[in-house]
Amino acid sequence: MTSVLTVTSAEKSFGETRALAGAGVELRRGEWLALLGPNGAGKTTLVRSIAGRVRLDAGEITLLGTRLDTTSGDAVRAARGKLGVVPQEVALYPKLTARENLTVFGELLDISRPTLAERVAWALDWTALGDRADEPVERFSGGMKRRLNIACGVLHAPEVVLLDEPTVGVDPQSRERIWQMLEQLRQDGASLLLTTHQLDEAQQVCDRIVIIDHGRDVAAGTFDELVRQTIGSGRRVSVVLEGEPPAALLEAGLEAAGGDGTSETLAVRVEDIGEELPELLARIKAEGGRITDVHVEVPTLQAVFIHLTGRELRE
Amino acid sequence: MIRTRTIRTIVKINWLYLKRDVVALGLTFVLPLIFFSIFAVIFSGFGGGGSDAGPPAIDLLVVDLDSTETSRRYVAALGKQEALEIATAPSPTEEVPEPAPYTLEDARKRVREGRFPVAVVLPPGFGATLGAFAGDSEPVELIYDASNPIARHSVSGLLQAAAMTAGPDLLMKQGLGQLEEFGGPLTDQQRRAVEEAEGYFQSGEAAGAAGPGGAAGLVAVEAVDVRTFDVEDPEEKKRKRSIVPYQAAGIGVMFLLFSMAGAGGALLDEEESGVLERVLLSHASMTQLLLGKWLFYGVVGFAQVVLMFVWGALVFDIELWTPNRLAGFTAMAIVTAAAAAAFGIVLATLCRTRSQLSGMSTIVILIMSALGGSMVPKFVMPDFMNTTALFTINGWALDGFLKVFWYDDPAASLPRALLTLAPQVAVLALMTVTFLTVARWLARRWETV
Repeated sequence: MTSVLTVTSAEKSFGETRALAGAGVELRRGEWLALLGPNGAGKTTLVRSIAGRVRLDAGEITLLGTRLDTTSGDAVRAARGKLGVVPQEVALYPKLTARENLTVFGELLDISRPTLAERVAWALDWTALGDRADEPVERFSGGMKRRLNIACGVLHAPEVVLLDEPTVGVDPQSRERIWQMLEQLRQDGASLLLTTHQLDEAQQVCDRIVIIDHGRDVAAGTFDELVRQTIGSGRRVSVVLEGEPPAALLEAGLEAAGGDGTSETLAVRVEDIGEELPELLARIKAEGGRITDVHVEVPTLQAVFIHLTGRELRE
Repeated sequence: MIRTRTIRTIVKINWLYLKRDVVALGLTFVLPLIFFSIFAVIFSGFGGGGSDAGPPAIDLLVVDLDSTETSRRYVAALGKQEALEIATAPSPTEEVPEPAPYTLEDARKRVREGRFPVAVVLPPGFGATLGAFAGDSEPVELIYDASNPIARHSVSGLLQAAAMTAGPDLLMKQGLGQLEEFGGPLTDQQRRAVEEAEGYFQSGEAAGAAGPGGAAGLVAVEAVDVRTFDVEDPEEKKRKRSIVPYQAAGIGVMFLLFSMAGAGGALLDEEESGVLERVLLSHASMTQLLLGKWLFYGVVGFAQVVLMFVWGALVFDIELWTPNRLAGFTAMAIVTAAAAAAFGIVLATLCRTRSQLSGMSTIVILIMSALGGSMVPKFVMPDFMNTTALFTINGWALDGFLKVFWYDDPAASLPRALLTLAPQVAVLALMTVTFLTVARWLARRWETV
């Protein structure tokens, strides 16, 4: 896949604060890329620098083949014209209706008059706000505002879309709806780069993930790649036994992980699940243990994130 | 490149916003009319306003410690002065149907308490020495409240006038007595002539009638409004001129500045909500954004001024409906609104928060309004303050509006009338450009960082 957006060695300081310290990111055509990082890691600064709102101290940004940091004039404007940006804040005019917001932002995005009417209709349909199109936005729920906020950023059908926390502060139902909207955008050919705190959903919906911390990218790849790079293929296995566990098993390194009087759980970490799990089960059986259940811990992005940054995402 | 479509969109957004915001609409168009009306009512009283209303009479407490025929005639003469509302005793009540006259203590107490701005005490012997030229007359005590210097000075003058109207016969007698004392006795013929004239003086005819702007006295006064020289119609000639336009301009400009400063704050709101960021992420540039906002605020400001003056014309007799005045007013309203709108934007770009803007705009506008003549007429200001007024929007706008409504030449042709406004129009236009340039420079902080 070809790259539509590349940022390399991005550096930016605000006074004494170093927001970016060599961060890099690559977005490929048709890809959905998640940019993860704790608060203050530099995600928003990176997004704003791509959008042209922050001038980098050093580094390169290439958007759709155009170097944004060195090229000037029409070429940059043309490239940025194919970029859609959805800010973290609900940046809408609350006293204007949904249709009016879409129309005025469409005009500001310089969408031609005949196309604009079509795009507004598309956006109202896409966001499922058609029946509320002529109501002031201030009466909308948080989720509805978020949907409209995204629509205003992609009204000009951009090839590359930057979304800064597009689901922050919305309920799970609305979040699901937003993910569906974004998936539809991707199916229509857009490449998406989003920052998010929703690790589980980023893990489910995004093709690749970049983790950024202290202003630099610390890992990038698919979820499986990140798991391999960080916590590896080891798994924690828990085996539930009926009654008291044989003493030989405890002496062999399995640890008691709790019980309820009628059953006892033993846990152990295995490095190669394929090889070691059958051996473990056979040994328990051989020692007289009666297995009633087996749990294999699934690696999560949360675990990967903590492994890489040493802290929770919201810290 | 200036994109007119972007500017039109910015104007449209602001218009839709204003239209939907009932409170903002009220603050923009209704509140100025209310303020304008309050001030117009106050000031129409001073100029007459086309009605019989004059400035309110001064409440004067009078204590007559002399209680002679002369002092009573003097008090009665004071009571006939239009500018005075005298009281010699408290108002009767059911409990006290015939209250006792005020005493010296009453006078001091009531003036100190602010119930009367000034009191006059006629001392014992007042009547016997009224009109004595030798400097041995009993002085009248004038007790005044320093917070109302106008009342003190007005009453001082009216006391002299009352002396002439109270008893010209007494003054004549007093004068002749002193003439005989220093110059020798009158002849019999002269004495008979004086006795014959006494009846005429006692009848009060000699006191004469007060002219339109003065009182009878040693010098007869006929006050003539300078704006009535060219008026043929005798009724129109008598009509008192309203000075509402004089004050309307001052209040109008001050309100316009407050409105525009408030409107400029929308920029700060948009910054806070993230809308400004989104607008700048679109194809709109900061220059287009500021121009769009300035254009909208300018149009709103113009509408505000027009509304105020049309209201003034319909309700307070401001004479607006002549070609010269309409054209001059339109020119001044446009440049004043343009300068005020640019001023609002420059203040917004200067401040970081709404509360900063609120505090700063209040201070700056009040200072400009005080110096520029919106609060106090410039003719009562010292020279150096008139010079500082040249650095304010109010000063130039007021000068222009006064040229249109007050110091205009009704016989001038339209081009000539407009030409007299050239300095004011030019300076306000220059202020507009300067403010917009400074605002654009300050707005760099919202651009790429």
